[in-house]
Amino acid sequence: MKKHSISLQVNGAVHEITIQPNKTLLDVLRDELNMPETKYGCGTGECGACTVLVDDQKVINSCLTLAATMDGKSITTAAGLQTAEGTLHPVQEAFVENAAVQCGYCTPGMVLKSVGLLKKNPNPSEDEIREWLEGNICRCTGYEKIVTAVQLAGKKIAQADG
Amino acid sequence: MSTRILTEFELLTPNTIPEALSILNEFRDNVIPIAGGTDVLVAMKFGFSTEYAMSISAIPDLDYLSFDPNKGLRIGANATISQILDSKAVKQHYPALWQSAKIFATPQIRNSATLIGNLLRASPAGDCSCAVYALGGSIVLVSQQGEREVDIDDLWISYQNTERRSDELAIELRIPAPEPAGRSAFKRLTRVNEDLAKLNVAVNLVMDGDKCTHARLAMGCVAPTPLRLRATEKLLIGQTLDGSVLKRVMASVKEEINPIDDQRSTAEYRKSVSGVFLRRAIEQACDIS
Ligand SMILES: Cc1cc2nc3c(=O)[nH]c(=O)nc-3n(C[C@H](O)[C@H](O)[C@H](O)COP(=O)(O)OP(=O)(O)OC[C@H]3O[C@@H](n4cnc5c(N)ncnc54)[C@H](O)[C@@H]3O)c2cc1C
Ligand code: FES
Ligand code: FES
Repeated sequence: MKKHSISLQVNGAVHEITIQPNKTLLDVLRDELNMPETKYGCGTGECGACTVLVDDQKVINSCLTLAATMDGKSITTAAGLQTAEGTLHPVQEAFVENAAVQCGYCTPGMVLKSVGLLKKNPNPSEDEIREWLEGNICRCTGYEKIVTAVQLAGKKIAQADG
Repeated sequence: MSTRILTEFELLTPNTIPEALSILNEFRDNVIPIAGGTDVLVAMKFGFSTEYAMSISAIPDLDYLSFDPNKGLRIGANATISQILDSKAVKQHYPALWQSAKIFATPQIRNSATLIGNLLRASPAGDCSCAVYALGGSIVLVSQQGEREVDIDDLWISYQNTERRSDELAIELRIPAPEPAGRSAFKRLTRVNEDLAKLNVAVNLVMDGDKCTHARLAMGCVAPTPLRLRATEKLLIGQTLDGSVLKRVMASVKEEINPIDDQRSTAEYRKSVSGVFLRRAIEQACDIS
């Protein structure tokens, strides 16, 4: 297999890497760049554990994306949401304050998915949140606290912008 | 079981259409095009192997969705399902297509998956495929030999087989300009929300007052490819959509479809609900309840 050289920006840092074409973006993040915060759940687009944010706007499943096709893209993982000083993103804060986390396995994906929603729709209704979170599975929380955390995050962002 | 490690292949990432056509011309049946990859990657994880894969995502200017009231809708090969869902023109003029995008997969998949990939996957369960079939249209295929436009009616040949030759790239879907009195709708039945369809249906009617002057009906998961319900369409044309016409329509669908038992449903179930399901789609299109 001919390797591909790509430039991938992850959480602001540019990585010039040479990778095999059969590696998914998830493989590269976890195994090549040692960034294990993005999780492997199903590998087939069903669970959302591997969700990342591309070019600061759209959420995708990194398990179904060939890394070699992401040349020049900017990726945000859950570890890239906080500020350089370590202040959590309002969505992360809301998840913590609302105890929307139990084992935490789904959390990076849930948080990024919620960030993606609030970028499109800063003031979503409960139904809109539930609909948007389809494709992210949580085996622990029962979703209630996640939904209220997203509502809280929307308010926090509105206040900060306010 | 799916695997974490994809089998080996060479990946080609052309930056222009001519480059892509030369790759297809050279490797033909040994290369698989990838757009969003949501079907191809899942297939690879379940053991599909290929010598070459060609990603078209680096080809610029193929991610357009443009609407002109006279010419209709044009959708490029890299345009995603999210773009369809975000389009006001699609929502207003092609409700069947918009509704099929609305229920499609999850936000992450919609951000990667393309409409053209859905058509070329040639799955009998393809949701946008069903909607496009009812709306009518054509797909533009190019090769080093030139360009041709294939009517959607001629695209699907048999289970997962299309009219596309292996040296051809699909670059655009064209859907005709909306009829002023046109109405369309799409519906899907699933086991759970995120699952693929066990039955889907799309209708596209032109009404002159109460009378139906033109009808295209499509149903999915009831034959090896998406199916046009041509005999049932005839029962609508020239008719007022009253109870007795709808009754005949409901009886006709059952005869026209040829479903099988699979993991999502049974042939018997599909047959028994197909009539009501189609009637509801017609009612949805015409705002009758
Ligand atoms: C979790 C999950 C949920 C899903 N839910 C749904 C759903 O609700 N409804 C539904 O209909 N589908 C669903 N799908 C299936 C899939 O997402 C769609 O079929 C999608 O539209 C495929 O588009 P793509 O761009 O990802 O195609 P790809 O995987 O890139 O390609 C699909 C096929 O089209 C060919 N192809 C693509 N582009 C071209 C081109 N330009 N020229 C020539 N050939 C081309 C490829 O070679 C391949 O055979 C789901 C998939 C997953 C993983
Ligand atoms: S690991 Fe990607 S969706 Fe489950
Ligand atoms: S907190 Fe455990 S899976 Fe969601």
